Order: sequence, then C-alpha cells, then structure tokens
Amino acid sequence: MPDALLDKVRAAVGAPNVLTGVELSPYVVEGRTPEAAVFPGSVDEVAAVIGLAAEAARPVTPWGGGTAASVGMPAAPGGFVLGLRRLSRLLEHEPGDLTASAEAGMTVDAFQTALRGRGQWVSLDPADARLATLGGVLATNASGPRRHLYGTARDLLIGLTVVTADGAIVRGGGKVVKNVAGYDLPKLFVGSYGTLGVIVEATVKLRPLPDHERLLCIPFDRLKDAGAAVRALLAGDLIPNAIELLDAAAGAALGAEGPALVVGFDGLREQVDWQCAELTRLAASCGGREGRPLPDDTWPRLETAARAAFPAATAFMAFSVLPSQVADLMEQGAGAARARGLASAWAAHAGVGVVRAALASDVRPKEPAALAGVLTDWRDLARAGGGHGTLEWVPLAVKSQVPVWDDPGAAGRIMERIKAQLDPRNILNPGRFVAGI
Amino acid sequence: MATLTASAKRDLRHELEAIVGPGAVLSDPDELLVYESDGLTLFRALADFVLFPTSVEHVAAIVKLANREKLPFVARGAGTGLSGGCLPAEGGIVISLMRMNRVLEVDYDNQIAVVEPGLVNLHLSWKVGPHGYYYAPDPSSQQACTIGGNIANNSGGPHTLKYGVTTNHVLGLEVVMPDGEIVWLGGKTRDANGYDLAGVFVGSEGTFGIATKIVVRILKKPQAVKTVLAVFDEIDRASEAVSAVIGRGLVPAAMEMIDHLTIQAVEDAFGCGYPRDADAALLIELDGLTVGMEPQAERIVAACREAGAREIRTAKNEAERLLLWKGRKSAFGAYGRISPAYMVMDGVIPRTKLPYVLHRVNEIVAAAGLRVGNVFHAGDGNLHPNLLYDPRKPGDEARVVAAGAEIMKVCAEVGGSISGEHGIGLEKSDFMPFIFSAADLAFMHRLKGAFNPTGLCNPGKIFPTKKSCGEAGAVAYRPHPIEEKGLAQRF
Repeated sequence: MPDALLDKVRAAVGAPNVLTGVELSPYVVEGRTPEAAVFPGSVDEVAAVIGLAAEAARPVTPWGGGTAASVGMPAAPGGFVLGLRRLSRLLEHEPGDLTASAEAGMTVDAFQTALRGRGQWVSLDPADARLATLGGVLATNASGPRRHLYGTARDLLIGLTVVTADGAIVRGGGKVVKNVAGYDLPKLFVGSYGTLGVIVEATVKLRPLPDHERLLCIPFDRLKDAGAAVRALLAGDLIPNAIELLDAAAGAALGAEGPALVVGFDGLREQVDWQCAELTRLAASCGGREGRPLPDDTWPRLETAARAAFPAATAFMAFSVLPSQVADLMEQGAGAARARGLASAWAAHAGVGVVRAALASDVRPKEPAALAGVLTDWRDLARAGGGHGTLEWVPLAVKSQVPVWDDPGAAGRIMERIKAQLDPRNILNPGRFVAGI
Repeated sequence: MATLTASAKRDLRHELEAIVGPGAVLSDPDELLVYESDGLTLFRALADFVLFPTSVEHVAAIVKLANREKLPFVARGAGTGLSGGCLPAEGGIVISLMRMNRVLEVDYDNQIAVVEPGLVNLHLSWKVGPHGYYYAPDPSSQQACTIGGNIANNSGGPHTLKYGVTTNHVLGLEVVMPDGEIVWLGGKTRDANGYDLAGVFVGSEGTFGIATKIVVRILKKPQAVKTVLAVFDEIDRASEAVSAVIGRGLVPAAMEMIDHLTIQAVEDAFGCGYPRDADAALLIELDGLTVGMEPQAERIVAACREAGAREIRTAKNEAERLLLWKGRKSAFGAYGRISPAYMVMDGVIPRTKLPYVLHRVNEIVAAAGLRVGNVFHAGDGNLHPNLLYDPRKPGDEARVVAAGAEIMKVCAEVGGSISGEHGIGLEKSDFMPFIFSAADLAFMHRLKGAFNPTGLCNPGKIFPTKKSCGEAGAVAYRPHPIEEKGLAQRF
C-alpha cells in the first residue's frame, strides 16, 4: 500500500486507529494479511475511509467481532480491514416504542444488557454474542434457537445506515415498526456479507422480556422418533420459542444420552408449566423418554451444538431445508459421512428447517478429497429436497473443491447486477460471496 | 414512451390475442375506463390495453412484447390499492392477474402454501381454515385485495402488530422480470442463498417485476382469542393506553383506535354497538394459549383503566367479536354515510408520539376547513387520518391534498414514515424527500436499475418526479394523452 494512501487514512481516523505490520495478526484470515486494519470512530470517518479506498481501488473487508471472518471464499489479497469496534454506542432506546438504535460495532451482549435493564430484548440469539457485533450479525444473517418463534434479522431490522461503496451515507427503512416507504434496504443488507455497503447503524424491533422461560430436553432412542415428535409439536397448539433436534453426537455435548429433542417455552409461568407438561405427553407418545429441564446457560450452546461435539471439527456446514426433511437429512447425512469413514454431528432448528452439521477431526482420512466428497454428498441431499447448503467453515484446500456457497441458479444473475449497480468498482469484500460476488 | 397509432394498436391487439386469447384483451376506451384508477380515485390514467393472462408463460410473453415495443406495463390485482400504484403510465399495458387466482399447493406439514398472485387474500384463509390454519396478513380490504397486490405494497393489517406484515410471511416468489425472464427469488426454505431477493422484491410496488407464484407461510389458528373494546371520553387517554399496554410487557395481536367521528359513521352504517358518545375506543385483541389468557387480559384491562378508560367491553362470543371487528374493518366504507368522498393518509409514527401527532392532525385539518375521521393501527403507530371532503366543492380536493402533505410532514418530523402499508405509488412520490435524502434515493434508484434497467415496468412510481421535490399540491390530475387526442373521455 502506498505510504501516501496510508497517511491519508491515518489523517482521517487518527494514527493510533490504523494498524499495520505485526499488529495485523488478529486480522489474518486463511493466510491472507490485509495491508492495514482501520478503526474509524464515527460514521463520517467510515465514509472517509471507504472514499479513500474507492479512489485507490483497494478492497475493503468490514469487520465486526471477527466471528464469521472465515465464512465465504477467501478475502481478496491486500486492502483494508475496516473495523467497527469504535462504533459501539447505544443511540436510542424508547421502551414505549419497542425499538432501539445502536451503532453497528456494539456487541450483541452489550446491546442486550442495555435493553434488559429496561425490561426488553431484541429477539436475536446468535452464537458468540459476547464478541459478535450487531452489524456483523445483520450482515451474516446470524440467528439462534429462538428464531423458531421470533424470526431472524430480516424480521427485526427496521432501519439502517450504511456507508456505500463510493463513501456515501445512505439510510434505508426508518425508526418505526411498520414502514413501506421506498425499497426495503434492510432486507437487502441482511445476509449480504458486507458486499454492498458497510452497516454502521441499525434500528431494530424489540420485545418485552418474558416472565418465564424454560428449556426442556427429551431424550429418544431413535432420531426418527424425535423427528416425528417435532411434526406432532408443529401440528399442535403449543407455542414453543425453540425446537432443537440433536443427534446422539450433538446431544452428548449438552449432556443428553442419545438423540434429543430440546424445546423452549416462554410466557407466564402457568403457560410454561402447562406447555412443558403437554410436550412431555406428546413426546412420550412418539417414544420420548422422561424430559428434564436444562439450565439457562444451555441456550447459547444450542446454536453451536453440532460443532461442539468434536474438540476441533474439520468442517461445519449449514443447510436450509423443509422442516419435514430435517430428520431424514440428519440421518442420511450422517450415513454419507460414515460411508466415507468419517464421524459427524448434527443439530437443527427443526421447526424452521435450518440444520447444522460438523465433521469430526479425529477420524481418518482427512484428505481434502474425502472431505469434499462428504460435503458434496451433504449438499446434494439438501438440494434434492429443494434446499441449499453453505460451508460455514472448511480448510482452505477444500474451498477450491467444493463451492462455499450453493448455486443460486438464475437468481444469481440478478445478484450480480445488484452488486454491479451498488459496488461497481468491486471493492467491498470482493469475491467472497455467492455467485462470485 | 411510444405513442401508438390506431393501426399499430390494431396490430398489437392481434399479437396480444395470440398470446392470451381473444377473450383476454381489452382495448376499447370504454372498457379500459374500469382500469383507469385504483382505490384512490384522485389519479386516473388510461392504458392502451388491459390483459388477463392465465399463466406465467403468458405474462412473460406479454412483458417481452412490451419490451420490444418499448411500451410501459404494470401489474394489477383487485385495484384496491390506495396510492395509485397500479396505474398505467402514459398508455401501455395493464396486466391484470385476476385470472391467476389458484391455490396451487398447501403443505400443512411445512406450513406453507403456494398461490397465484390474483388469489384474494381472504380466500387463502378460507382454503386452509378447515385444517386449522390461516394466512396472517389481514389488510382491511382482505375480502377483495389480492396476495399479489399485497406483495407489491408489503401490506399490513390489524394483526400485524403481533404477526408482522406481508414480507414476514413470504418465503419465495416466481417472478417475471422486467425483461421477461422467469426467475425464482427465494423458495420454500428459510435463509436466502445469497441476497434476500424475495425480501427486496416484496414492497417494491411492482417496479421490480411481476410475481406469478408466491410461497407464503400459513399459521396455526390460536387456541384462544380475547377481544375487548376499551371506551374513552378523551382520545388522549386512549393514546396513552396504547403505550401503557406496551409498557406492561404485553404485545396484543391487534390494538386499533377508532375515533368519535368514525364511531358515528360505523354506527350509522352497521350498528356494531360502539358507544356513540365516546371520544375514542381501542379495539384490543389477544390471542394464544387458553392457559394464561385471563391474566393477560386482566393486565390489559388494568392498563386501560389506569389510562382513563371509562368502560371495557368484552366480546362474549365469536358473533360479538366479529361485530366489533366489522366496525373496524368496514370503517372506510362507512365514511360514505357522512361524506361524499374521503382521502386516507397512511403515516407512521413512534407510538409514544401519538397524542402529539393526533393533535397536530386535528389542527391541520381544522385550519383547512375539513373534517377528519381517525381509524388506525394504534399499536403499530400506523395512522389513517381520513380527510373527508366533497369533490364537487371547488378547492376542496386541493385543500385535502395540501393538508395531507402537511400531515406527512408532521409524521416525518417526529421520526416516522409517510407510508405504513399503502405504498408510495403516484400519490406520495413527491413526498419521499420528507424522509429520504438525495443519496438515499439515488441508492434506491441504482437498486431499481438492477431489476428494471429500462424503467418500463411500472414507471413513474415511488421516486419524486418534480424538480422542487415535496411541494404540496403536486398530485393534481393531468389529462391523459388519449383524452387529449379525443380517443377517450371522462364520465
């Protein structure tokens, strides 16, 4: 990077907020080191930095807590990491409006703590909430078990401020819970992996904290039976806030013996009590054993249950399928891995068809070709039912053999056109996302 | 835009008939008149053709032909829109989707349905109702409006307070793109693979293409429903009750405000049993489990009483509940009893600003010498001031339009939006600068370029058209070119 450009960046954000050289080690992803990591202290400074990057045609990698930094194709060589950690303030919280605005670099935990103090929360429970930032969670569409009842970022984000690829500050949506004025930019940015603009501020819908909440774990002898219990649960009157289906490997990490169904309920105490009793009865009719409540600190471990099954998993993959296909995908996927001599662990947000799998690290062979074979089998299984699969983490060598992102089909062309319109110089996370975007 | 000669129009008609069949093409000005406006009759424009395709292939072929001829085209559902969003531009083609109205698939295991765009919203709930399911977005026009139209406007309804608006219930769409290509955006599963194109498409007011199949979520009907009417002697107290309910940690399924004038109209029309002497009433509905319903209802009643409700009525059975809702859902129509015409506004405000904004609305309307009826989604802060007027009185219409602009400005000033569910369309396009900067609008325009680079797909909507944006009175009627040529006239 030319010194003149670095000097301009230092002038824009202050020299102590620009890291270079050995200080960059936390920002090395898959062996690629950025030229500088820049930490602007305001929206205007973000705009200034991106403006400079655009002028010099340097790639920009937006960076929140870094918890999803290795998701996607490897970052373009060189360029800036644009860290949002100094943009971490709560901007506004009006409990009567059930809305709050914060800067994108605020961690999810910090945001929730502030909201909880006034009896509310944002119904997003991604993994790594201590590190993950609001902006990062939105950009990667991260979610957690409570999405079953409360939806995902697309359902909660009502407004945002982004800095665009040419350094302009653009607002979309608003601060009110219902709003159809203009195109739905919040939807565009949720899950866009920093390829269309850098989210700097967000406004979300909130919910009141429930009076009570409980997780119930029901072990089963067979995953298939637990799957049948999920279907019965979905068809009934209960209103769970989470429905987690775990195979034996993932269940073990939570202390369950064998496959397990973990269901959450919230509301008034009598509602939680009644639903737990009903669930127990329903599960028993499907072959479930006696349930037991799980401690509250289980909640944050549900999102990562599959990968936690192994001390250092070789690969994680996420799938979206129809809810009715979840148990089959888990069984057939585990079978496909076994057929290649690999162990796997599976966990699902079963009511919404979001499944995660991890491949064990301690089983040979670990050659990329064998790994690639399993991952390709898995993806084929998901695609066969109209779903799709994303490699959330794999060794770099595998990424060249199995695409990280699934093929979006004809819609990919529209995505390419959107990228070309909004980032014509291709500086924002180039090449990292779907369809080569 | 191309202007069609009589012979070119004749030739085109033959080509269009070859696509959709002779019974599915309208081109006589008197037949086209039916399609010259939507629910907002302030705007009118005549198309060259109105077509009734019955398949996605028809729609794609029409769109390709329109591209070849450089004719603007716009999709249309039931025409219940309230912002002029489905009006043709200057001639061109209206593609009515009313003959594509089938429920193609219902998958109860996965709680989804695949429907065609011309399906009437309520008909989906009728279809899945016997199985214990329903489609949650419930615009007040749900007996007539189509799901395709709901997609265009990202329609809401009373129960969106708890259940969200249309976009929260759409998983995927088959779309005829503005160049005629058929593409699926999203699908039947959650979490888009790539950009959330289905999310971006919903609410794009027909400017990103034409949805031909829609995958929606259907929900289990709740075990129990409780509906109460809280009656207030002062509308301010009712506004405060809205925040008080939320402040007690409750999110009802619906929380609707009905003001004094609206109560008169509704009672004249339907006799729903709303107290005529009340200044305002809140219609509040709770739904969910039977267990816990009573204590939750008690919390709501207590919040309303503390805020100053003089009386709380509870629907004792389904018939009483439906009667209470009839008054709310039919209120717009009931204004016909007390005024020859009305124009409904659709601003949204943070709900804590309700008392202030309602006062400002009343001041603005009084200063304009008009009357206003308020019936709206109070829980969402989505206002619907209905400005009553007489179109035969000279100047009334212009005063309504000017007052409407001022109301939108107030909504913007308190951090709100100019539209909660009706869309920008033609009506509000010049007011977009109230809430969006030039940079915001330029960015949206570039996004439009990715979907609709020629601009032929529903032109003239959403974006400000005038040089001096945001001036009141921007929406006066302009004669249609066909009228100017004497090919059509207004009755």
